[in-house]
Formats: sequence, C-alpha cells, structure tokens
Amino acid sequence: MSLLDDVRQVRRGWHWGEVKPRSWPERAPAVPDRSSNLGWARSEPVRSARWLLQKGVSLPFTRVMANPDVRGAEWMESLERPAIIAANHSSHADLQLLLYALPDRARERTVVAAAADYWYQRPWLGRLVSLWLNTFPFSRTGGPQAVLHHSSQLLKSGWHLLIFPEGSRSPDGRLQEFKPGVGFLARETGAPVVPIHVRGGQRIMPKGRAYPLPAPAQVRIGRPLQAKEKESARAFAGRVESSVRELAAGSSGPEVVGSWIERWRAAELRSGATARGRS
Amino acid sequence: MLALQYLRSLPRYALVRATGGRADVATGDFSLLHLGDVPEPEPPNGSWRRVLPSLAGICGSDTAAITGHASLYLDPLTSYPFVPGHEVVGVLAGDGARVVVEPALGCEVRGLSPRCARCVEGRPGLCQRVDEGDLAVGLQTGYCCSTGGGWGEVLIAHESQLHEVPPALSDEAAVLIEPLACSVHAALRGGAGAEDVVVVQGAGTIGLLTLAAIKLFTSPRRLIAVAKHPFQRQQALRLGADQVIRPDEVFQRIRFATEARRLDGPNLSLLLGGADLTFECTGSAAGLDDAFRYTRAGGRVVAVGMPGRERVDWGPIWQRELTVMGAYAYGTEATGRRTFDVALAAAPELGLEQLTGPLFQLSEYRDAIAYAVQAGRRSTAKVAFDLRGLRL
Amino acid sequence: MSRPGAVLEVDRNSPPTLFHFGEGVRLERLPLGSRILYPPDPLEPIAHPERAIRRALAHPLDDDPLKELLRPGMKLTIAFDDLSLPLPPMAQPDVRQLVMEEVVELAAEAGVEDIHLIVATGLHRRMTEDEIRHIVGDRIFTTFWPDCLYNHDAEDDDENVRIGTTPDGHEVTLNRRAAESDLVVYVNLTLVPMDGGHKSMATGLATYRGIRAHHNVDTLLGSRSYMHPPDSQLHHSCIQQGRLIEDHVRVFHIETSVNNHAFPTVANFMQKRETDWTPADQATYLALKRLSDLAPRDLKRTVFHSMKAPYGLTGVNAGQVDQVHDRTLEAVRKQMTVEVDGQTDIVTMGLPYLGPYNVNSILNPVLVVCLGLGYLFNLYRGTPVVREGGVVIMTHPCRYEFDSVHHPSYIDFYDEVLADTTDPAQIERKYERRFAEDDWYRQLFRKSHAYHGVHPFYAWYWAAHALAHAGDVIVVGGEREVVHRLGFKAATTLADAFEMAEQTVGRYPSVSHLRTPPLLLADVR
Repeated sequence: MSLLDDVRQVRRGWHWGEVKPRSWPERAPAVPDRSSNLGWARSEPVRSARWLLQKGVSLPFTRVMANPDVRGAEWMESLERPAIIAANHSSHADLQLLLYALPDRARERTVVAAAADYWYQRPWLGRLVSLWLNTFPFSRTGGPQAVLHHSSQLLKSGWHLLIFPEGSRSPDGRLQEFKPGVGFLARETGAPVVPIHVRGGQRIMPKGRAYPLPAPAQVRIGRPLQAKEKESARAFAGRVESSVRELAAGSSGPEVVGSWIERWRAAELRSGATARGRS
Repeated sequence: MLALQYLRSLPRYALVRATGGRADVATGDFSLLHLGDVPEPEPPNGSWRRVLPSLAGICGSDTAAITGHASLYLDPLTSYPFVPGHEVVGVLAGDGARVVVEPALGCEVRGLSPRCARCVEGRPGLCQRVDEGDLAVGLQTGYCCSTGGGWGEVLIAHESQLHEVPPALSDEAAVLIEPLACSVHAALRGGAGAEDVVVVQGAGTIGLLTLAAIKLFTSPRRLIAVAKHPFQRQQALRLGADQVIRPDEVFQRIRFATEARRLDGPNLSLLLGGADLTFECTGSAAGLDDAFRYTRAGGRVVAVGMPGRERVDWGPIWQRELTVMGAYAYGTEATGRRTFDVALAAAPELGLEQLTGPLFQLSEYRDAIAYAVQAGRRSTAKVAFDLRGLRL
Repeated sequence: MSRPGAVLEVDRNSPPTLFHFGEGVRLERLPLGSRILYPPDPLEPIAHPERAIRRALAHPLDDDPLKELLRPGMKLTIAFDDLSLPLPPMAQPDVRQLVMEEVVELAAEAGVEDIHLIVATGLHRRMTEDEIRHIVGDRIFTTFWPDCLYNHDAEDDDENVRIGTTPDGHEVTLNRRAAESDLVVYVNLTLVPMDGGHKSMATGLATYRGIRAHHNVDTLLGSRSYMHPPDSQLHHSCIQQGRLIEDHVRVFHIETSVNNHAFPTVANFMQKRETDWTPADQATYLALKRLSDLAPRDLKRTVFHSMKAPYGLTGVNAGQVDQVHDRTLEAVRKQMTVEVDGQTDIVTMGLPYLGPYNVNSILNPVLVVCLGLGYLFNLYRGTPVVREGGVVIMTHPCRYEFDSVHHPSYIDFYDEVLADTTDPAQIERKYERRFAEDDWYRQLFRKSHAYHGVHPFYAWYWAAHALAHAGDVIVVGGEREVVHRLGFKAATTLADAFEMAEQTVGRYPSVSHLRTPPLLLADVR
C-alpha cells in the first residue's frame, strides 16, 4: 500500500475534519504522563543526532575558541560506575568546556542538570538544549526529595550526572559555596563524585554577555571522591568543594598515568563501593 | 554427411573464454562449433560397423568443451576436428539392430595386441595406448577424429563397443545408458558401507543416476542428495534419496544427519565429523569445496562430475586426511560383468525417460546447447539431439 | 485512575484496528459486530520503588525479615530471572536491579562475605555481558562480574545436583551452588500469571532432566490454561518440584510485578485504544508504517529491538513463596484482566516482533507459533476466547529467518522435524531425545549463546493445546511455503482470511480480536 492509501485510511478512520462519532467512548489519558523527564533526549535517534551535532559543530567550535588544556581525563576513564560530576560554574561556556574535556565514552553517557527555572521556562528552548547538551530539568528551589528521586534514577540507569553545585554562575569567577544537594545525591546513590575545575570560561563568555569571544581555558579533572561512613551530606559537599578549590590552586595530586596505577585506582573504586555497601 | 564439428582454433577458444563461455558466443559464428557437411568416417577393417545415431545426448563434458571450461589436460588426449557425441543410441547400418555405443577406445578397439595392462584389467577407459593403433589419438568416440560421433549422421564403432538394446527400452531411456554406466561404476567404486551416510552433491544427469546406482547396488544408512532446482529435487526423491537438501544448507542439514559439530569460518563452514562418503557430481569448485568440508576426517570423496581447472581449497583434504578418488567411465566391474551390461539390466526399472528431453534437431544446435547449459533450471536433466529425421 | 479492560464492539464509525505485523504494523477493518478486547490502562506505578522494596524486605509475608536471615560467614545466593522477562525489556533501572541492590546492601551490612548472583536461565540461552549489566545495573555488575555473577549452566554435570524425586516420580535437579547455599534469594519479575512462584526455581535453576517433568505435551494439554495456575498441570508439577526444593534449601522469594506500560513515548499509539489516538498518534502510526514498509529488515529489527519499556512497579512482595505468589498474581491479574462474555467462532491477533525467546534476535517461524498459539492463545481463564473447532487468525510476515547464534536447533527443528510432522505428541516421541542429546547443541548452549537443543520442542509443545483446540489456523501475510510447513493456511489479506475461515465455522461468524500487546488476560464467562 502506498503512503496515500495509508493516509486515506487514517483520515477516514479517524474522521478528520468531522465531528467525532458519538459511539466512541470517552477519551482517557491511557498512558501515564511523564513528559517532564525528557526521556526522548536520552534515547535513539536523538543520541545519534546529538553525537553528530557535538562532533560536527560544538566540539570543533570549542577547540577553535578556547583550545582548552585538559588534565586528568584518565580519572574519568577509570570510573567503573556512573558518577556525579561536580564542577564550578562561572559562564555558559563552562558546559561546552566540560563536555570537551570528557572522554568520548563518558560524554555520550552524561546528562546535565540544568536549572529548570532558567532553561525550561520556554518549552522550545528546553527541548533545544536537551537535544544539544543532553540536559534535564533540575529544580533549584524544590525540596531535595523530588529532585533526588529522579536524579538517582538516572544514575542507576547508567548515566553520569553533571551538576554545578554552586547553583548559579559565579558573578566574578571565584568559587561560591557548594550547596549540599550534591552530598545528598552521593549519599543516596553511593555514586562517586568527580570534582572538576574550569578556568577561563568567564573570559570567553562572562555573565551578561550574549556571545562568546576567544580566550584560552583550562579544565582540571580530579580524583573521584566517595562519601565516607557517617559523613553528613553537608560535610561531603564541603569536601567536594575543597577538592575543587585544590584543583583551582593547581595541586591535583600526582598526575601520572601508568597501568598499575590505573589498576590501583579501579580497585580502590571497587573496594570503595563495597565499603560504602557495608556501611 | 551432416554433422556438428568441434574445431581446434586458438583465437576462437580465446574469444569464447574471454566472454566467460556465454552460450550465444560459444555457439555463434566464431565459436569452436561448426555445423556442415563433413566426410564420413572410414571403417579401418572388417571388425568395424557403421552406426546411424537415433538420439545423441549433450553431456556436461560436451558443453564444457564448447564453452571453453574443459580441462586443457584433455587436449593432448583428443584429435581434431572431431564430431562430439558419446551418449549414443542408434541403429546398425544394414540390419537395423538398435544398439548403444560404449565409447571408450581401448587396445581392443584399436586392434592392438598384446593389450596394455589397464585394458587387461578391463578398464579400456584408462587405456595407456590411446595414441596408437587403427585410430587417431582419442579417449572416446566423440573425442576422436577417426570415429565420428553422435552429433553426426554416421559414426563407426568397433564390434566390441556395441551393446544391443532390449526392445522394452525406448531410445529416450537408452540414450542415458552411457551416463548410467559411468554412475554405476562410480557407485561401485565408492562402495558405500551399511553404516555410511552418503551424500551425492549435484543432481544433474550424473548426480541423479549416481544416486540411483548407489541405491541399487549399495545400501548406505542414509542417502542425502544435494539438489538445487525443484525438478532435480523431485527426481532425486524418486530415484531413492532419503533426504534432499539445497546447496545453501548443506552444512546445516548434513551436520544434523551425521550428528557432527559445525564451525563457521569467514567464508565457509566446516563440520567436525560429517558424511562418510561423498559423490561430487557437479565438478565445480563450489561443489568440491563444500564436499571437502562436510566429509568427515578420513572419509572419501569420489569425483564423478568432470572438473576443469578449478580453484579448490586443499586445506581440508590435507588436514582431514581425505581420500579423493576419481571415477571415470566404465569397463568390466569386479563382478566380471561389463558396466554397460549392468546398466542395461538396471535401466528399465529406473524410468529414465523422465530425465530426457527436450529433443532438438541438429540444425537447432544453438538452442540445444543453450538449453543444455541450464538444464536443471529448465526442469530437465538430459538434452539430446534427435537424428532419426535425417534417415528418412 | 486507570480504566479497566474493555470489550468494544466494531460499528460503522469505529476507527480501523491496529494489528501488529512482526516488525511492522497494519490497520485493518474488522467485520461489523466484531468485539475487540482491550487490556486495562497501565496502573499507577508505586511512586517510591526503593522504599516499597525496603518495606517488603523488612516485613515479609510468613517469614522473618531478610535482615535476620543474614549472618556473617553464610553462603548466600541470589538468583534472578533472565531477560526473557519482561517484554519488551525494561528501561533502566530494571526492577530486579533495584531489588538486588537492596538485598546486596543488607548482605553487606550483615557482613556476608560469600555472595553469588546467578542468572536463572534454565534452558534459555546464556545472557551476554551487556544483557546482564542491563538487568543488574552498573554497580552490581562491576562489583561481582564475572566471578560471582554468572549464568546458570544446565548442562554442567558437576555444577548441578539431583535433590530427589517428587511423589509423582519426577526427578528434581538444582544448581549446585544454590543447593549448597544457606539461603537462596530469588528475585523474580512476573509479567504474566504463568511466571513466578515455584516455577521460578523449578525451571530457572534446573536441568533438562528436571524440566522435562512438566515441559511435555501431556502436561501442557492438561493445562487450560497455564496462564491460570489453579487449572494448570504445568504448575501443579512445578509446585511439587518447588516444595521439594524448599525442603532442601532455604529460599526467600522476592516477586515483583509491573504495569503494562510496554511502549516508550515514541510508540504511544501501540499502547492506546484506537479511539484515543490523537493526531500525533496517527502521524506516528503513519511514519512507523512507512518505515516498516520501506526499511531493510535489519534496520527495522534494530529500531524495534531498541525500544525499551517504561514499565512501572506495581507490586513487590517478599517471603514464603505461596503467599508471595498469591499477592503477585493478584497484582498481575488486576493489570491484565478483561471480562468477556462467551466464546466466538474466530479470534484474530496481530503478532508483534518480540516473544519471550527472541530478545535481541529474530522471531523465527517456530517462535511465531509459540507466541501466537502458545502465549497469546492461552491468555485466558476459564475457556479460550475462541470456541472449540473455531479459527485462529494471526498476522505475521512469517519468513524463513533464523538467528543462527541464538536458535541453531530451531533451524534443524524447522527443516527436519516439521518437514516430517507437526503433531506435538509425535514430535515428542520421535525427535525430542535426539535434539536433547545432540553434542553440538550442548556445546553451543554452554559456550555460545544458543538456546538448549530441546528448546524448540518446548516452543512447539506450548502450542499443543491451541493446535488441538482450534479447527483451523490462518496466517495473514505470511510466506506461503513457511506457513504450510507450520501446518497452517496462508492468506494475503484479512478479508481473505475471514473468507477462508467461513468454510470452517460457517457464514457470519462471531469474531474477537485480542488487541495485544500490551498483554491482557481474558476472563471468559
């Protein structure tokens, strides 16, 4: 059957442009409404489209604009479980720099927590950033429970979660206090937290300017952290913050890449997971 | 006399080869085949008789020669120009008795004495002195310039080559006596045991007749035929196959029948275990390659179909310690009976007429050859020339 | 509040009806007066699955809290259902992952050192690494794979034990690790009433010798239907085996049930009744129809198999098997039941691309029969929807296509066995042993990802009841040669099929259409 036949069949069957027959039962929302989690943005073919967009447009563009200097990407490689990626936030350019810094495999599996009240006010803007950057709406104001549930679901289904624990862009590039949400999330799911510091985003696109200008940038990825036994969410968030500060200061620990070290790290992560399991 | 003649011409051979043996080129104006008035063959002495062919089959080896696919190995064993046609049923000039011709030209036919060792064994097909005697060099009637062949009005045959056809056997059936004799010889040479799983690869004339011969003269545990076309499948079942399978499923089905294991390679599969005995009746590289891979280690592969120069993978033959044996022609079997007599005795119950047809006039040789090349696809096994009209 | 299941009658104004057609869809007009059986809408899922799971583990039915069963130094085995459930596979996180994470957490707290996690594959194929990761989630996978997380191997004589004989004289076998454990926790997902209960252990961790006690033609002919355990010999036999297992080893059952939200947002129209289709649904239908008409088969297959279902958890129960299973069945029935008045002459069903045995693979002709006449036909309670001697009409392209990795023995079953006979009893007598003991199938089952050699027989036995009950089976749109090999009749269009069916059931037959998936259970009165 040709497309025309199909269309005709549907047109007649559903009485296009006519009154709906009386004999039809009341319509009901048979399918539970879950529009808010933007699941489509994390399924095919959107993933492939995003891969093309990023590989074809945004990553080369980022390279031209900032030529970012990335250190410590092997920490991401060493992860064996979905992790929370916590970074400082000073500019809209940060996200591009971060995505640039992540290894391919990690980037494809990363969702970005985007402020629901900023990005998702206008539906089409929300859909666009979801398509381009794989964001999902993250409430800055709502109670921790509501946010937590959805985020932990994402972590459990194998996605890295990129959040900016500062909550909003820093006006002057200095690190603000981390909100405890990152601690709650880490404690709830047992996921490791990867601290990242981005420098230079502000010079590319400071708060208030609508277009980017070229400027060099650095991204430092640090050793994944694991919440300790009986460490409160707030304390752990503080620890993540200080670790990002350390990265900012440039002392990110030994940056050696070597097979035995990689093994060691992997082993530590795994034992970390079990330790957390036993707590 | 009117006859089709096969010429020896290097440029024409090159042309036919260059077009890959297309039937229209291989029978066209610049082909190796030529229809015309040729001199009748002269009987060398009184032991020779003139035979007027009634039907003459088109054999796979004939089409191979015409399309340039035949093995060049045969070239020095052939004298040119010859009249093809070695599957012949005809009548004797003079008394009109119906006979089939046993084409092998051994010592006895050539009037040589003492006979060579192979001929003493009763295998004139393997005669070691085919370049001597009353005739020019040639393995068979139909490949020798001195005897004429089935595709002409007259041929000459030595008395020892003639076998009388019982009245019950029609010409259409009798024209298949020669290939049946080949098949009987192959089946006896293969000698399937009672516990063997036997595969017959290919279901053209030779494949089907080999199948029938295996069923008649040996009793394998399971007899599997590999057939491509519906007609072939149906005939294979009729002639006694326990199971008929398609060429693309040989590994799967033979694996099951022999309880073997199958491993898949990048190009072809192979079986660990497999058929005990395989009769390869296609003569093609694909058929041989398959056969070597599904016959069990230490098993036997009998090459019945005439192969040419084929690119075959020798790996499995070496690793599986296969015994590869040829089966050519006929003579006298271990029982002391001549293969042709065995075939003539067996023929009536096989319903061979079903395999023959359609018949062509000599003048329609182009269509006939084109038809014969694709016989299986066109639901027949044996295409033949009908020369009975020429005698009226 | 979701609507209950419904039976709607086709009238002059009804929209056409959706028929699944392998990797494709069709809209068909059913005769006026035909009735269409719709499953209930998806139930509201439990809002906080983790909490519900924790509660179930802390307050089990007829058993001590799991926490108290765990102690340091014990041998703990967690067995769980493979990816043949649910269908289509559940979008991550899988319910089993959530349950197992809680169990592992508890075990870690209790200081249990020796934990093994076993995929209870029974005679199904070994799950691949990725598939197991999909079920258990990253966290468990990286912690336990591959030493302590693996597939059950039903053909490893050393790793299975015979634990006794049931009163009926059937052998009972069990995975050695499970048999020697101090506690086995079975994590189940029940999609249809056939699953779960004693059947979990009795088939999932058993061997061929144990499973053949109930997977045979006799038992299945006595199971009417096996979707309703009280009327099912299959389940009676499983219960006997299960009781013996419970006597032998301490088992803590955790059963979960999900709603029938089987299709992701893109395929919403498959989930909905036709009268509910919005213009967007109609457009998606047209797009998918076009895709399935034009796209090459491999592409279609990839697209369809990449759909993951957004199932929601509707129930989780833990404790002793009988009580747990009763509760689970209740939840499952609530989601599936449609009340139907009386039988009809004809039942029609559209067969989708997926059955229990072809996750990430091809629905071959034998599995088509298993899905249509095995599973969908048996989704009834009381009497079948179609009367005895009636006609079953299925739509499926029914091609000669097999997955040679997953289903090697299916190919031989089709070519060797079905070419000889389609009668289940005769097939069982003549061929089952030969396939069960074939060395090569055994090898592929253990080392590759093949179903057990005997599995195609079970797929066929599953249809035995339907084959005996139905007067005729017509496949619409199937390849003629294949349909004939299966012993059915081939029709080009649905209209032709009705025409042919009238020769069996008479003029003006009554018709029921099973609008499924999502799955429904017809309660025929």
